[in-house]
Amino acid sequence: MLSTVSRQLRSHPALIPLFFFIGGGCTMSLTYLARLALRNPDVCWDRKNNPEPWNKLGPTDQYKFYAVSIDYSKLKKDRPDF
Amino acid sequence: MAHPTQLGFQDAASPVMEELLHFHDHALMIVFLISTLVLYIIIAMVSTKLTNKYILDSQEIEIVWTILPAVILVLIALPSLRILYLMDEINDPHLTIKAMGHQWYWSYEYTDYENLGFDSYMVPTQDLAPGQFRLLETDHRMVVPMESPVRILVSAEDVLHSWAVPSLGVKMDAVPGRLNQTAFIASRPGVFYGQCSEICGANHSFMPIVVEAVPLEHFENWSSLMLEDA
Repeated sequence: MLSTVSRQLRSHPALIPLFFFIGGGCTMSLTYLARLALRNPDVCWDRKNNPEPWNKLGPTDQYKFYAVSIDYSKLKKDRPDF
Repeated sequence: MAHPTQLGFQDAASPVMEELLHFHDHALMIVFLISTLVLYIIIAMVSTKLTNKYILDSQEIEIVWTILPAVILVLIALPSLRILYLMDEINDPHLTIKAMGHQWYWSYEYTDYENLGFDSYMVPTQDLAPGQFRLLETDHRMVVPMESPVRILVSAEDVLHSWAVPSLGVKMDAVPGRLNQTAFIASRPGVFYGQCSEICGANHSFMPIVVEAVPLEHFENWSSLMLEDA
């Protein structure tokens, strides 16, 4: 399969950027989905050992992918302790 | 507010809206450039007497017109994602206001310190004073202190509504049984108009939103007056 593709690519090199960008786009999308599945506190995988991860959020943790102007580690931790 | 025959956005009254304006300029410029190029190519193709029946393929041009659009898309995507994440940030608000949508008016609750709440009905057209705007004015405005981060908690008491103020760059759906959070900073004093943005029945077009940004002392005087009247 891969040898067929690379043989055809040699005679049509214009397809290389196509593979690069489409492959890169798919990789980025799937990586973000995986990040959401594994790191998002709204997702629960283990009902026995970690039943409600959304109740365990820290006040100075960053859960977003990209923080533009807030530095979460510098936020004040003045929340009531339950 | 919008003026007649206006095509573009209203002037920005918050930093987020300024960012949105700049991004829109950026994306629209790219759109104009591409459209001009395509229009030129169409005209050139249609108005030439030259023909070529023997071109089969060309690897070079294919490489160019794969890489160039991909680069342009990345140049659009990066600022777009930056603004998306920027709009999601709530920077330590000084004030929290609850905006509740009803059929067919908004009610605002300022409950940080005292229990201040009031309804905001549209001023009917026949009751407008000279100089007031038709279908946009309300009897009570939502007054906020200027240059202070304000958090708005939006919800609804009956059906779906949506709380939107274009010049502040804010729109948030009001869903019954759900609390949605949005925030803004009014960077200048002024009166900013918006309208309900989710179909909610017969008078959906007649439940506007008016935000008045004033200096802090004026806001304090206003809230004391409103508390006395209540």
